[in-house]
Amino acid sequence: MADERRSRSSAGSKTRGNARGGEKGAPRRGMFRRRKVCKFCTDKVDYIDYKDAKMLLPFVPERAKILPRRISGVCAMHQRKLQTAIMRARQLALLPYSTD
Amino acid sequence: MSHVRQYELVYIMSPETTEQAITDLHAQVESIIARYQGEMVKTENWGRRRLAFRIGKHREGTYVLEVFTGTGELTKELDRRLKVLDSVIRHLIVRVDEDLRLAERTRARREVEVQRRIARGLPVGGRPRRSDDDGGDDDLNDRAEV
Repeated sequence: MADERRSRSSAGSKTRGNARGGEKGAPRRGMFRRRKVCKFCTDKVDYIDYKDAKMLLPFVPERAKILPRRISGVCAMHQRKLQTAIMRARQLALLPYSTD
Repeated sequence: MSHVRQYELVYIMSPETTEQAITDLHAQVESIIARYQGEMVKTENWGRRRLAFRIGKHREGTYVLEVFTGTGELTKELDRRLKVLDSVIRHLIVRVDEDLRLAERTRARREVEVQRRIARGLPVGGRPRRSDDDGGDDDLNDRAEV
């Protein structure tokens, strides 16, 4: 019973994986995604300063929205700190809330 | 008894205010801090800066940063005073002692780790290991199950 269920669930997950792979049409091998690393971890930044607007600017691209982690590759801890820093900088009109 | 903590205060003054008015306000802030047994740590005048967006009718402002230690009551009083003033178009008080302490601690921990690595003769500044074989492993497992 248990075996049956497990095999079914694994089969389900596999078909889903295959479907997704087919959709993108990505070759299984040879293609590699460059692993994104957290900019703050590599630079060993311990405190993200809200007063340093120049440093924060790359994380608020054209529409002035905060760049998501999945794009910037910033780790969770630093993204949280970055978020508060950006919100503080916005209160002081160092960064825009929005652009149009 | 309330705790003594470190705070940063940034306020933006409207561009029309004179140098005299800016120094006056700075003196006023200092006196309030002194009255509440606080201590001035640092003060910085960033000068005139363009605002990222309009505040009221202003497009520019003079930024002043004050770093001080004091109690919560002191920040409350400063907040109240700055709210009243028309020449101050925006202000923000942020508590920084905890964040700075945390930053200091992580820095110290990293230093210790580096020392330990040197002592053991391991490479310093370890690069994260690449894990691009994971996908291949999963595929093999799948095939085995079928």
